[in-house]
Amino acid sequence: MDSSPLLNTRDLSKDFGGVRALRDLDLDVREGLIQAVIGPNGAGKTTLFNVISGVIAPTKGSVYFRNEEITELPPHRIAHKGLTRTFQNLQLFADMTVLENVMVGMHHRSTGGFFASAIKTPWVMAEERRIRDESMEWLRFVGLEDHSATVAGSLPFGNQRVLEMARGLASRPELLMLDEPAAGLNIRETQDLAQLIIRIKESGVTVLLVEHDMELVMSISDRVTVIDQGHKIAEGEPDSIRNDEKVLKAYLGEE
Amino acid sequence: MTLSQQILQYLITGVTVGTIYALIGMGFNIIYNSTDIINFAQGEFVMLGGLLTVSSMHVLHLPLPFAALVAVLGVALIGTLLNIAAIRPVKDPNPITLIIITIGASIFIRGVSSLIWGKEPYPIPAFSGEDPIHFFGAVIQPQSLWVMGVALSIVLGFRQFFGKTITGKAMMASSFQPRAARLVGIDTRFMILISFALSGLVGAAAGIVIAPMSMTQYDIGVMMGLKGFCAAIIGGLGHFWGVVVGGLALGILESLGAGLISSGYKDAIAFGILLLMLFFRPQGILGKSKGDRV
Amino acid sequence: MLFTAFLSVLPRFLTNDYYLNVLIFIGIHSIIAIGLDLLLGYTGQISLGHAAFFGLGAYITGVLSAKVSFPPIAGLVVALVGVGVLAYLIGIPTLKLHGHYLAMATLGFGIIVQIFFKELGFLTGGPSGLVGIEDMNIFGYEFDSDLKYYYLVAVSLLLTLLLSINVVRSRVGRALRAIHGSEVASSVLGVNVSRYKVGIFVLSALYAALAGWLYSHYMTFVSPSSFGFMFSVKLVTMVVIGSLGSIWGAIFGAALLTSMPEFLHVFANYETTVFGFILVSVMIFMPRGLLRGIEDAILGGVRAVRGRGDEK
Repeated sequence: MDSSPLLNTRDLSKDFGGVRALRDLDLDVREGLIQAVIGPNGAGKTTLFNVISGVIAPTKGSVYFRNEEITELPPHRIAHKGLTRTFQNLQLFADMTVLENVMVGMHHRSTGGFFASAIKTPWVMAEERRIRDESMEWLRFVGLEDHSATVAGSLPFGNQRVLEMARGLASRPELLMLDEPAAGLNIRETQDLAQLIIRIKESGVTVLLVEHDMELVMSISDRVTVIDQGHKIAEGEPDSIRNDEKVLKAYLGEE
Repeated sequence: MTLSQQILQYLITGVTVGTIYALIGMGFNIIYNSTDIINFAQGEFVMLGGLLTVSSMHVLHLPLPFAALVAVLGVALIGTLLNIAAIRPVKDPNPITLIIITIGASIFIRGVSSLIWGKEPYPIPAFSGEDPIHFFGAVIQPQSLWVMGVALSIVLGFRQFFGKTITGKAMMASSFQPRAARLVGIDTRFMILISFALSGLVGAAAGIVIAPMSMTQYDIGVMMGLKGFCAAIIGGLGHFWGVVVGGLALGILESLGAGLISSGYKDAIAFGILLLMLFFRPQGILGKSKGDRV
Repeated sequence: MLFTAFLSVLPRFLTNDYYLNVLIFIGIHSIIAIGLDLLLGYTGQISLGHAAFFGLGAYITGVLSAKVSFPPIAGLVVALVGVGVLAYLIGIPTLKLHGHYLAMATLGFGIIVQIFFKELGFLTGGPSGLVGIEDMNIFGYEFDSDLKYYYLVAVSLLLTLLLSINVVRSRVGRALRAIHGSEVASSVLGVNVSRYKVGIFVLSALYAALAGWLYSHYMTFVSPSSFGFMFSVKLVTMVVIGSLGSIWGAIFGAALLTSMPEFLHVFANYETTVFGFILVSVMIFMPRGLLRGIEDAILGGVRAVRGRGDEK
């Protein structure tokens, strides 16, 4: 395994009108690990995710995935490179079934286009069967297989979060970014989530997560990066971060 | 007339018409700001203003000023009825449903108007006669001055109302933060009702003041409404001064285009300007661009 | 399949040739409605200007037929290519917009096109319309009776229907519905959102153009007044009242709205009023459309009956 990071950002900056959301941010994500990004509210964590996944463009700086620059690429191309994400405020396809949501996850790994679908060629039908079967596998992986025909919008909240992760997994990313996956979950659901994230790592997917739940972060992360006001202030193993002075100051506030 | 005099004439027409567009657009903004709804029936308020004035004069035998007052109040009332009958009962207010409802309401109002007033145009006498005023080789109709005067009073009046009075400020609060407004005791449903009434008022005023120059008829509402909405978008949807800028810009460009290029394409020019704005600067002249956040 | 059988025997039941005429129009409108439903119901993009594509299809084939004696089939090909290209070019900037802005852009486009129909008199015959369009004939076979035309329209409708159902049930259909659900989520999963949006916009425009072609050679006369904002509104109404996101709903809506004026002819002057009233009422009380509303009502009734049974 080479030593270069799976994902890294250089001097990443983002301004919104007068607000500096990201300031010269350098971030490394190492392959095969669970890495967390933490920081006080408003630190720029979701903006970071939005810039990396191509949803918004940075004001300055670049993002590299496997040493290839992806800064200017649109989200769907980035997905094809092997990077996808979930959303803090859940972006499920609420009117589609649970299974259909996961099937969309496989979109970039399939090619059935307009003409082939219109005339129902044998290969497109075979591909549809493959997509359906594999999507069911992903539902089994996360434990939602009994709800495959349920409309996604009517699932209980905890299941919706898990569904979004299954959908992301179906795109077989090398790096899965989770934006506050534990937000709104109770203690038991958070523990289940922790187990799921570990299983994801064991299946070979690198995980980058943004989270506020410190217990979750400290218990499953291999590496933690702390950002404050859009800039990295500390990075390392959970234990060293826990006691870092700069980090404590950032969270407790300063005059 | 020399070319520069012709251009001046077109500018005068453009400002007059543009002022009307701005007034109509203001009606859109008032409702949009309080409810996020685009009221496609706004144009019908304009039409009703004119036609109700005509009826008040001929049926109730009121002199023009009182007829106009009756009409304006009448349309304000119709605006509130629209809110109560067509908007409040809606359970799932998604944009497509609301667009169709207000379009449906405008069709309904138009249908009823054609039954009451028929399909012919009606004249309203000019407020202070028709002797044109000469201005650097071009001509201004006195009615144009009425248009600008009424519009100016309304704009200043609204500035006063929204900025200084309690009710006005309460309306602004309801539109920015409905939940917070409710918590401090503002009745947001009532605020919305008022916004529909004001919208009707301003639409009717526009209709009455332009009628002496262009006749009033059961179906003038469609184009009027659309152009007013264009004015609002061009200036920046929801922006107070934006609609004034947008309306004037639209009126002037449309008038210049119709005069210098071709009058048959007048509406095409107006909507062409709209499309250009939407493609290149959808937030309008004075609007702020939004960044999308997830 | 059942529908095919239904369509083929339908004419036998008709007492009057006039009804055949109505059915032909229902068929033509259904084709547009299905396309618009793919755009509006499935992908969630509103268009208040689809009458323009219908009109362009009609005028392109009409002008070619009346002025240069192009055979209808050639007119169809040119119309489809022309409308396709125009829809693509206008679609790219337009579909970057959302909500009211998208609605106004499509509305503006529709009005501009209609004005061109009126003003380019030397080509289109101006406000009074274009006459002299050839009767429909395909490679020499003449469609000289309403019955023959009915079958032509029915076949066209069936083909469009089949194509649309297949697309909707495929990966493409899923992508469209995903875009409707969340554009940003679709894009991070690999869906090229703008390509799909423009693509479905073009497809729906092509459906409208095909319908325009059928219309043009049936009427042998077209005029700008048929292709304005009101007709665009009617088209959207057909789809919404029928039920968004349901292809059968689109056909149902088209049938309902096309035949309604026939019933309302008695109340000629009241037609607009009644139309507006129905529009508002349906949207308030059955916002998911009539088909879904009826479906919900039936399911609700079934559940209620079953519930009572369980209690015993």
